[in-house]
Amino acid sequence: MTTLLAVQGVTKMFGGLTAVDNVDLEIVERSITSLIGPNGAGKTTLFNCLTGLHRPDTGEIVFAGRSLVGLRSDEITARGIARTYQNIRLFGRMTALENVLVGQHLRLRASHWAAVLRTARQQAEERAAREIGRALLDFVGLGGQEEIISTNLPYGEQRLLEVARALGSRPRLLLLDEPAAGMNPRETERMMELVHRLRNERGVTVFLIEHNMKVVMSISEEVTVLDYGKKIAAGAPEAVRSNPRVIEAYLGPEVDQDLRIDREMQDIT
Amino acid sequence: MPKTIRTGLIAFAFLSYLIFIGVPGRIGENALPILAVVAGLFFWLNLRREVGRKGDSVHVLRAGLQAGATAGLLIAMESGLFATLLGNGVSIQPVFDKIVPQNIAALLGVRPGAIAQAQVPLLRYLLQVVYFTGSGLLGALAVAAVGASLRTYFSRPAMVSAGRWLVIALPFVLLAIVIYLGLPNVKLFSTNRGTVRLLLTLVTTGSGLFALRLTRPGRERMAVATLLGLGVLSMPFALDQFQNSVMGIVFIYVMMGLGLNIVVGYAGLLDLGYVAFFAIGAYTYAFVSAPFSSPFIRSLLLDLGVSADSPLLGYWMALPLAMITATIGGILLGIPVLRLRGDYLAIVTLGFGEIIRLFMLNLGELTNGPRGILQISQPGLFGLAPDAFSSGQLSSQGWIFLLALLSSALIAFIAIRLNDSRLGRAWIAMQEDEDVAQATGVHLVRTKLLAFAIGATFAGLAGQLYAARQINIFPENFSLFVSIDALALIIVGGIGSAPGIVLGALALKGLPEVLRGVDEYRIVTFAALLVIMMIVRPAGILPSARRRFERDSSDLDDGEDEIVVNSG
Repeated sequence: MTTLLAVQGVTKMFGGLTAVDNVDLEIVERSITSLIGPNGAGKTTLFNCLTGLHRPDTGEIVFAGRSLVGLRSDEITARGIARTYQNIRLFGRMTALENVLVGQHLRLRASHWAAVLRTARQQAEERAAREIGRALLDFVGLGGQEEIISTNLPYGEQRLLEVARALGSRPRLLLLDEPAAGMNPRETERMMELVHRLRNERGVTVFLIEHNMKVVMSISEEVTVLDYGKKIAAGAPEAVRSNPRVIEAYLGPEVDQDLRIDREMQDIT
Repeated sequence: MPKTIRTGLIAFAFLSYLIFIGVPGRIGENALPILAVVAGLFFWLNLRREVGRKGDSVHVLRAGLQAGATAGLLIAMESGLFATLLGNGVSIQPVFDKIVPQNIAALLGVRPGAIAQAQVPLLRYLLQVVYFTGSGLLGALAVAAVGASLRTYFSRPAMVSAGRWLVIALPFVLLAIVIYLGLPNVKLFSTNRGTVRLLLTLVTTGSGLFALRLTRPGRERMAVATLLGLGVLSMPFALDQFQNSVMGIVFIYVMMGLGLNIVVGYAGLLDLGYVAFFAIGAYTYAFVSAPFSSPFIRSLLLDLGVSADSPLLGYWMALPLAMITATIGGILLGIPVLRLRGDYLAIVTLGFGEIIRLFMLNLGELTNGPRGILQISQPGLFGLAPDAFSSGQLSSQGWIFLLALLSSALIAFIAIRLNDSRLGRAWIAMQEDEDVAQATGVHLVRTKLLAFAIGATFAGLAGQLYAARQINIFPENFSLFVSIDALALIIVGGIGSAPGIVLGALALKGLPEVLRGVDEYRIVTFAALLVIMMIVRPAGILPSARRRFERDSSDLDDGEDEIVVNSG
């Protein structure tokens, strides 16, 4: 039970809006953790802080014992964090295999001169990269679709391809931003199974944002809840589900609703 | 507006254009039938699409009739208007200098005198309507009658195979004709043989690329490529000074296009100041080759006790120098624009291109200002002076052409291999989505600077060769238009595709020289060709595979939209 990622007091502000407010978080190696919260709670912003797209205003992010704050996103990827995106952001004009090859970019070492001269070493590396790419596509269930241009893949498969691309960089921690969004129940089932296999077969720690409560409750070992940028609850799925603050965040405070009804009654009378 | 009327209007606009540039007058008495045939060809091309939509031939014939009649009526009205104006002594010539009695008379099939005296029988106008309506019908007939049966005939495997080999053989046949025309004592009617040969040379080179594309990968492609390569290499020896000089500039632009393609086509960084690196390469070679032309370098050399009267370095010794200075230029431009995207990047690079040109113009001490650097030496080879070539088979321009060919081949080789490596993938990824590319592990700064630096190096090479070709270079050789030409040839040829760039250069730098025949309307004709090209093949003449896929999928979307519209 070693801690892989530790977030300590991270705050991110956009002008006057505090998107992420003093959040603490710990993710255990080889665990599956979910991050939930209502829309606009700052979940994706937190992901962006973790992957270097945003730089947190205050706070510390420690990954495998080293700080990530201030690193570029490619350096963070090199350290072993990869991610997918809420609104799919594949390299649309490339084939599925090419997308995964870009994912492996920083694991390839051959020089550009070697590429011009096609040295034996460079060729061997490219071949190996293609092999790995195919294996990764197989792993996520896209075997045989290597040469399809990624925009031409069905929506659910584009999400799978994003996972394969992320795996290309051989991450220790994989951040999935709403992996099951917009999927039908069967595709969702497939994605959940994939998340399990990621952890069990490849030993990848998974940290995911998800709105589908069924997915969250059945898949995660740990759940963290954000609301208005603040962490309001964390713990085992069952405990979080019955936490009154979480229910309040999702359904609105009961008192408020009573008040609203009162007001409406007054308006009518 | 019905589609057929629109087709007629387009045909009318096209024919009017021909009238305005004086084509009927040039053809002479047979102008009307010839124009009708041209129009018929146009209708045929246009109606061919119609038949795919609604297979019924009566419909096609009616469409042809309507389109032809529209064009015919409008042409009759137009020529009536001009004939009346000219007959009543109204001078249109200051505005449209080709609208003269002779031209309109040819269009109407009467003597010029009849126009001047305003005595054109009405029958003549009717005849025009009949001719063009007939051309519409002819086009439609061609579509309806032979379209379907011909297509099934030609799609038989044997015919496809024969057609393929015909296209592959075409460049070799054309090359033979080009060489034959170059033999002494061969007369070609009375026309300008040099221009015809140039056009044939351009077509030969272009058809070679199409032939190569049609070959099957593997041994067949290798064999054809080798033969084509040998054929192209024989060209500088077979052509004369004029054709060689045009082909030389074409391939210098190919070098630039291939370099710019790395920046724009692969990495997706819109660089409008590409001429800067071309200029840097050219001036670097100019300085070491003709130090006596630069007051500053001259005095510097004299202070050092070196004679400034002869070149410091030969072409080949100066080659790495020109490349390195251009590379440095590329990196220096790249660093400040790293964070810029899209339009902003275009504006800043545009400025950079102008800055370099203004430097060359105003840094009189170093660059000799507008007076330019003169007497740049020609490239030799292993001690052979360039004169040695001109005495033999190879003219001095042929030598430049040969060097441009070889350099283009080398650059294309490097560019294609880089594009095929992880660097190429990183470039495309960066072009698609910078943030995601970086988050996927692409080092943005390094990748962008590499694109700028490699692109600039190739431009430097092209610049050096250009300086050697021009012998004297001036700042105005390096205006914004060089950048625009280089960019345009990439777009016309097909962004990201090396064969496309060669075709683009042939079309953009070669064709205008052929079109010198239509003198003052050269640029307009050329522009019209470009517009037509972009309508017919919006992704370029030979688009890269990536772009083609993109087009295909967007076509698919269009089709879906249409279905929705119809059902609603």
